[in-house]
Amino acid sequence: MTTPSLKISFRGTEFTLTVLAVLAFVVLALTTHGSVLHGDTLTAIFQFLAVPMVIGLAQMAVLGVGQMNLSVGVVTGFCAMVTAWLMVDVGLPAWLALLAGLATGAAIGLVNGLIVVLTRINGFIVTLATMTIIDGLRYGVHGTATYQGYSPGLVRLGQGSVLGVPTVFLFAVLVAIAVAVFFRHVTVGRQLLASGGNPLAARLSGVSNDRSLVLAHLLSGLLAGVAGVIVVALSGSVNATIGDDLLLPSFAAPIIGGVALAGGVISVVGTCLAALIVRLVDVAQAQYSINPDWVDLIVGAVVLGAVLITQLRGRAAT
Amino acid sequence: MRRRIWADPRLGLLVVIVVLVAVFTALRPAFLDVDLTIVPIQSDLTVFVVVGLAQLAVLSLGHMNLAVGRMAAVSAFAAGWAYDKLAVPLVVGLLIGLAVGALVGAAAGWTIAATGVNSFVVTLALDFALIGLVSLLYSTFSDGVAFHVAPAGMDILRGDTFADYCAGDLCGPPIPLVVPIALVAALAVGVFFRNSRLGREILMTGSNLQAARLSGIPTSRRIIQAHTLSGLLAALAGFLLAVTNGAFSADIGGSFLLPSFLGPVLGGTLLAGGAVSVLGTVFGAALTEVIQTGLNLLQFEVEKFKIYIGIVLLVALSLDRLRQVLAERRKQEVPRVPEPVEQKEGVA
Amino acid sequence: MTVTAEKLVKKFPGVRALDEATLRLAPGSVHALLGENGAGKSTLIKIMTGVLRPDGGRIVLADGGEAHFGGPHDAQRAGIGVVHQERNLIPAFSVAENIALPAVPQRFGFVDRAAARALAKRCLAQLKVQLDVDRPVSTLSVAQTQLVEIAKALAVDSQVLLLDEPTASLTSDEADRLFTVMRELRDQGHAIVLVSHKLDEVFAIADTVTVLRDGRSVAEAQPLADLDHDEIVNLMVGRAHAVLELARTPVDRTATPALELDGIGTADGHEDVSLAVRPGEIVGLYGLVGAGRSELARAVLGLDKITAGTVRIRGEQARIRDVGEALRRYRIGYVTENRKEEGVFLTQPISRNIAVTVWRRLARAGLVRERDENSLVATYRERLGMRLSGPAQLAGELSGGNQQKVSLAKWLAADCDILVIDEPTVGIDVRTKAAFHELIVGLAADGLAILLISSDLPEMVTLADRVLVMRDHRLVGEVDNDHDYDRTSQEVGRLLHQAR
Repeated sequence: MTTPSLKISFRGTEFTLTVLAVLAFVVLALTTHGSVLHGDTLTAIFQFLAVPMVIGLAQMAVLGVGQMNLSVGVVTGFCAMVTAWLMVDVGLPAWLALLAGLATGAAIGLVNGLIVVLTRINGFIVTLATMTIIDGLRYGVHGTATYQGYSPGLVRLGQGSVLGVPTVFLFAVLVAIAVAVFFRHVTVGRQLLASGGNPLAARLSGVSNDRSLVLAHLLSGLLAGVAGVIVVALSGSVNATIGDDLLLPSFAAPIIGGVALAGGVISVVGTCLAALIVRLVDVAQAQYSINPDWVDLIVGAVVLGAVLITQLRGRAAT
Repeated sequence: MRRRIWADPRLGLLVVIVVLVAVFTALRPAFLDVDLTIVPIQSDLTVFVVVGLAQLAVLSLGHMNLAVGRMAAVSAFAAGWAYDKLAVPLVVGLLIGLAVGALVGAAAGWTIAATGVNSFVVTLALDFALIGLVSLLYSTFSDGVAFHVAPAGMDILRGDTFADYCAGDLCGPPIPLVVPIALVAALAVGVFFRNSRLGREILMTGSNLQAARLSGIPTSRRIIQAHTLSGLLAALAGFLLAVTNGAFSADIGGSFLLPSFLGPVLGGTLLAGGAVSVLGTVFGAALTEVIQTGLNLLQFEVEKFKIYIGIVLLVALSLDRLRQVLAERRKQEVPRVPEPVEQKEGVA
Repeated sequence: MTVTAEKLVKKFPGVRALDEATLRLAPGSVHALLGENGAGKSTLIKIMTGVLRPDGGRIVLADGGEAHFGGPHDAQRAGIGVVHQERNLIPAFSVAENIALPAVPQRFGFVDRAAARALAKRCLAQLKVQLDVDRPVSTLSVAQTQLVEIAKALAVDSQVLLLDEPTASLTSDEADRLFTVMRELRDQGHAIVLVSHKLDEVFAIADTVTVLRDGRSVAEAQPLADLDHDEIVNLMVGRAHAVLELARTPVDRTATPALELDGIGTADGHEDVSLAVRPGEIVGLYGLVGAGRSELARAVLGLDKITAGTVRIRGEQARIRDVGEALRRYRIGYVTENRKEEGVFLTQPISRNIAVTVWRRLARAGLVRERDENSLVATYRERLGMRLSGPAQLAGELSGGNQQKVSLAKWLAADCDILVIDEPTVGIDVRTKAAFHELIVGLAADGLAILLISSDLPEMVTLADRVLVMRDHRLVGEVDNDHDYDRTSQEVGRLLHQAR
């Protein structure tokens, strides 16, 4: 029996990531003579953490049932474009446009989920197809042109801060808490994880695995929508290229954060911490003026390393 | 049991291709213009068929290669570097590129076989790492983001068609010189999986890993070999694209991922492993290419054709699925036993 | 009566798995359900728990109503709980949550954790088990997960509790604790069904017994006190079994053994296993499920580690590292018991299924010609009497018996003259079974050395020259088979069930 060790290692991922993040931050602060501690830099670090965090959670939601969602990036872009279009071209008030943006994401997720359940086609291929479609639709909204000058109030809110903390980051944290509560305390959230952890047992206990699949995709789409409206509020201008570079980070955060690809195990804290670490790698690159290409190389190596360690740990435990 | 011909998804693809060509030609007669469409279509198709084959090589196992584009990029760098710094002849550079691609593929395969980690994650992480590596390599070893090299023969390979070579009055057809390379690759991969012991053992491994092991097949070695082949073909695709573009640049392979799945999946290759269709991959790639070119001619916005390709992919797969369900239902003489076995979801 | 299953019939293609079997359960008793492998126990359990639907007969519930289970959940609601052999828990969830999963206590859509923990504590207390309800199930021992599963069944108020081989992976201490729990539940008025192969534990705990044989209930809820050990064995194996008389060629017992194990120990736990199989001989390896028979075969083939002793092939010491080596160098074939999972490639044509072991030989310059494969198929189609539409037919489209022949043919094609055949006729109908038996005898007559693993006693008596009995990873005895079913089966049964 390896009761205690397993328990520790289970929490260990999050603990290790926390230590790593703090360490990275301290090293950054020391080697840049405190420049990352300056208000502006600090604000920028956390402002631009919001989207990677939420997008990581969007991927995590489907990984919870052992599926993948390749469309998260483009859905984020599409929702951002739809929100901006509703404000600029349709003239909806900002709050309504934001809600519509979220609804768009949720609707796309719902469609993904329904296709997966109804056709029994592999979720990878389904979301590959919807990714392609939405990629096109994204440009259908406003071509390659840029929307800007919408709702100054929204942008002020998006770029502002409360007690020194960027509002978008606060919002992302709230979303993360909501997701954590959903997977921890809400009945359907628990059932979703039960389906991911052991579909047969879940079925024998009266859990509908199909419903879990649809729900996971719906949630994933909704979170991609959330990321979309964060972009709208934060950047003040949006165009159709938004979301292009989000697919790989969406996988990196949960995988580094200790989320099992096989389903059933998620970690909101781990995913958010992993997103922070990836963000710090980015910051380091900017601070040291390193060639930005190192970032991808390092993140790739870290993802692979994280997976290998998890695998080895799993082997040692059995 | 003889499969009925009409039930073959490849026939369906061919029909759709012919219908689309007819429709596009009716709408824009320029669709059949040799210089405007026919020749460029073939050049593009050459690249995408080989890219599809690179993905097909691991789909045979039920694996995926998400780094297919970046493997192409690394190999293209190697080839470009060899032309630039070593001034090697065209063929030698190609061989160097292929070797590098095969090596990277083998590394991916080894990691998967040795650790048992999902191929999706391994190749995803590899993709990440290679994106960075490729850019670093170009910025370190070239004067920017590309090698603008032209070893002897490359321009000919890029620009010429067989129509440019005449024996007296008799000229060849308007087929670009790169096309035979893809044809040979397709034929070789086809024979490999159909007739060679190695290819067949890879398919058996993909069909049922346990049974393969119990039949005396060295499954780990076969997994590595399939990924090596994938890397090799990705390298070939990268080289062909570099020839078409006229430069070995860092962005080669950047748009490979989607087409690499489109060709095989449209052509009826399943993600489950154990069966591949080379001809289907060629048709799948051709369908994609026809749609793209046609919509282009109809002056659709560049990005819009993606909507249609995505829809075609979904519809094709759903129809295929429907066909399977109907076939199963027709065959069922005994009521299905509802064993408590869950359908495996996600990727294996 | 709590629940009665009356004259249940279940037909699978070619077999009647259940043929008017009856199971009567009374509250406040432990009821043993016995039968040899393939007698229909699992089918009966699956019907009782709503996993399968019966083709005939009915299930009558405590209130006199007839039950029609649309699925497992319906059976649960009717108060029938089951603890399966497979672990059916969610690893990442806590003990409390697993126990509460079938009926999650909730408030406004939120899981009421306090209620779930209270429920779990109550159920565990009912079992007199101390367990931290907040621990993730992934950290529990096998015995503990089993208790959690029982608690889970109690959580939905199961009046009937089916335990399918609950002690299969428990130590004897853990098993004793489980029996205490079962007695506790019995005294609380539950009806408990114990499915087990171990007669000692049945006698230790059960009150009444139902014995299944060939899908029929040959003893229906008889008080166990009226029966003794031998009578139970006789009921299980049956007396009037017609043993197929097959002409056998006498074995030359002086010949060098084709396969010889000498004091073999394995990483899986085998100790001091010694046996010899001579050319033309069929040696049976009999034992309960989990006794370690297939694992021994796997170790010989290099799939598991051999830690002690020597393997001799045709008189020469051999060290087999993998199946490829076993196949090519030593010509040993293994016909697996898991036909669908390990034996055949369901999605591949028959030709490839058979030729997979000989591509190396068939290939010219690395290429295999289909013509060669097809002639191979033709050879074995005739020799084994396979019914197929052609070499391109997919293996998944064949009947179980023909799939088994395909699984066998690939080893014959590879010129194997030592065959380990594991449970060759599980799930195969009676007529095909007889044909298969003739086939195996024919192979032995051709001079092949065959190690036959089977849990089907009549099959053993029909085929084997000698029967070795394995228990807990050791050989406990040998019976020279004179093909007299009564004598041999009782001898084997005695070895198998004798007190430790």
